[in-house]
Amino acid sequence: MVLLAGLASLPVKAEIQVFACEPEWAALVRVLLPDARIVTATHYLQDPHYIQARPSLIAGLRRADLAVCTGASLEAGWLPTLLQRAANPVVQVGRPGLFLAGEQLELLGAHQHVDRSMGDVHPEGNPHVHLDPVRLPRIAEALMERIGQIWPELAPQAFARYVRWRVSWNQQREQWRQAAAGLRGRTLVVQHGSFRYLLEWLGIKPVLDLEPKPGLPPSAAHLQELLAAPALADTRAILVASHQDTRAARWLSEKSGKPVLVMPGTVTTEPDTDTLAELISAIVTELVTVAGEGAGDRS
Amino acid sequence: MSKRIFTKALIPLVVLATPDTRANELNPDISVTLDGYYKQEDTALSHREKGFGLGHTELTLSSPIDDLFSGRLTTVFEEHDGENEVLVEEAYLQTNGLPASLSIRGGRFLSQVGYLNERHMHEDDFVERPAVYRALLGSHYYDTGLRVNALLPTPFFWQVGAEAFAGDQLTEGDEDIGVYTVNTRIGGDISVSQSWQLGLSYLNNQHAETADTGDGDHDGTEDEHDHDHSHAASYTGEHLYIADAVWKWAPRGNAREQLLTLSGEYLYAEDLNQYASSDDTHEGWYLSGVFRFTPQWAAGLRYGEVDLREAHGDHFHDQSLDETEVMVSWSRSHFSTVRLQYTHQSGDGFDNADNTVMLQYVVSLGAHGAHGF
Repeated sequence: MVLLAGLASLPVKAEIQVFACEPEWAALVRVLLPDARIVTATHYLQDPHYIQARPSLIAGLRRADLAVCTGASLEAGWLPTLLQRAANPVVQVGRPGLFLAGEQLELLGAHQHVDRSMGDVHPEGNPHVHLDPVRLPRIAEALMERIGQIWPELAPQAFARYVRWRVSWNQQREQWRQAAAGLRGRTLVVQHGSFRYLLEWLGIKPVLDLEPKPGLPPSAAHLQELLAAPALADTRAILVASHQDTRAARWLSEKSGKPVLVMPGTVTTEPDTDTLAELISAIVTELVTVAGEGAGDRS
Repeated sequence: MSKRIFTKALIPLVVLATPDTRANELNPDISVTLDGYYKQEDTALSHREKGFGLGHTELTLSSPIDDLFSGRLTTVFEEHDGENEVLVEEAYLQTNGLPASLSIRGGRFLSQVGYLNERHMHEDDFVERPAVYRALLGSHYYDTGLRVNALLPTPFFWQVGAEAFAGDQLTEGDEDIGVYTVNTRIGGDISVSQSWQLGLSYLNNQHAETADTGDGDHDGTEDEHDHDHSHAASYTGEHLYIADAVWKWAPRGNAREQLLTLSGEYLYAEDLNQYASSDDTHEGWYLSGVFRFTPQWAAGLRYGEVDLREAHGDHFHDQSLDETEVMVSWSRSHFSTVRLQYTHQSGDGFDNADNTVMLQYVVSLGAHGAHGF
C-alpha cells in the first residue's frame, strides 16, 4: 500500500539514460530500473577487454545519467578514453554516476605483486564476477543503493524490485545447489578465467587453462603441454566462452576425447538466456549433462 | 523498516581493494615507450636515418589532479645526426566533466586536426607517418595553447572544437596566436561489426606568410632542411584544410580476434608565404588498410602522394613524392610489437627518394593508457 501511494505521487520525469559497459550490468539495471533507456557497450560475442572506444559509445556515454561497469581493469583499454571524450559531468571516476561492480566487494585472485611477465593480470582480481551466485546479489544491493542515492524519489521502488529479485534469486540458487550437488570435485579445462566464480561456487576446479598466460592466445607449444599433462585425464570437458575462438578447444578435444562446451560468458539477447539467473541455470544444466554423475567416461 | 534490517544483515560494502599495488594511487601513472629500428637506406622526407636508430622514445606521466582536472606530461627522446634531443610533446591540463559536455585542454599538446595527428606515434601501424604528414605537419604537430571541445546534443557522436596555439612549433614567428584550428568530427556504428568516423579540420598559420625562405640562391648552399627543431614542418601555408575518414570492421564487433581498419586523409594548403601565387599550393593524401587477422599478427598496405612547393627565397620549386608501404607485424601481447616494413618511394625534386626495408620494435612499459578510435 505504501509503495502504491509512493508511486502515485511520483512526479513525471524525463527518461533515465543508463550506459552499461557489459550486458550483465544491463540485465541488472533492467531489474531495478525497468523504464530506463539502456545503451550497452558490448555483447556476449565480444571480448570485453578489447573494445574500440568508438564514436557511438562516446555518444551513448555523453547522455547517460548513470554508467554501470565492472572496473578492476577489465575496461582499462577503452573506458578511460570514453569517460574523457564524453565529458559527462555526472559520469566520472569518483562520482556517483559511475558505478563499478568490481569495487563493491573483494574479488578472487587479487595480487600483491603484478608484472607483465605474468601475462595480462588484473591486480585487483578476476573481474568476471557477474556469474557468482553469492557475490552478484551484493553487487545488486549496492547498485540499488546507488540508484537510491542518485534518485531518492526512486529509492522505494528500487528497493522493492531488489527484494523481489533477491527472493527469486535465492530460490533459484537453491535449485542450482541441488542440481549441481554431483559436480563437486570435478575438474575442467578452461580458456581464461571467465567462469571462475561460478565454478568455484559449484566446487569445480579449472585445473588446466588453454591460455599459456592470462590474455595470451593458446599456442601450439602450450597445447602440446596440456595434452601431456597428467591432470587432463580426469577432466570432464573443455569450457570456453562464446566470444572465444574455439579452434584450440576443438583441437584438444579431438586429441583427448574431452567434449567442448561453449557457453555465453554473459547475458545474451536469446530469450532463454537474457537474464543472469537464466544464464546460470543454462550453464549449470549443461555442466550437469556433460560432467555430472552418470555422464560417463569417454575413452 | 525492512531496509534497515537488510542493510545491517548484509556484509558492508568494501570500498578499498586489498592488494598493496593500489596503495600508491597518489603517484602518477608512469609509462615508457621504447621504439628502435634498423633501416636499410635513407629515404626522402624521413625523420629516421638509415642504420640502427631509436625512433620515438617516450616517457609519460599522467594522473588525476583533483576531481575536476587531470594532467599529462610526455617527454620524447630523439636522436638526429648523432645529436640527442629531449622534447616535450605533452604537458597539459585537461578538464573532466565540465557542464554541457565541454572539455578544455591547456598547455602543450598534440593538435586534433586530421585523424592521425592527435594519436601518439607508438600507436601507428607503420614505421613512419605518411609523406603528406611528414611534410605538412612535421609528422605530429604539437604546440602550446588552449583547446575547447564540445559534444553536440545529438543521438550520434558529433564533436566540434577549436584550438589556439603559439605557433612556433609549426613555423617560427612573432604572433601571440600563431596558429588556430577548428575541427569537427562525427561518427557512429553501421552495424554490430562496423563503425566509422569522419572529420574536417582547418588550420590557420599566421606565421606562414613571413616564414624564412632562405636566400633563394642556387649556389649549392641551399637545402638545409635540417631545421633546428626536428618537428617544425618544412612546408607550410597560411590555410591548411584536412578531411579524414576511418572505417573499422571486426567480426561481430569482437575486435579481439580480428580487426580491419581502413583510413585515409586529404590535406591541402594554400597561401604558402608572401611570395606565393594562387598556383602555389601543397596537396597530398594517403589511404591505409591494416588487417589484424589474428590476435597477434597484422598486415598493412598504405599508399600516399604529396605534391609540394618548396620555398626558395622568392620563388618555389616543385616537388612530389609517391610512397607505397607494406608491413607485417607480430605482437606477443598488447604491449610489444615487432614490425617488418618495405617502403617504395618515387619522386621528383627529392634527391634521396629510395626504397628501403625497415625492422622496428615498439614496446610499452608501465601503465598503459586507453586508446582512441
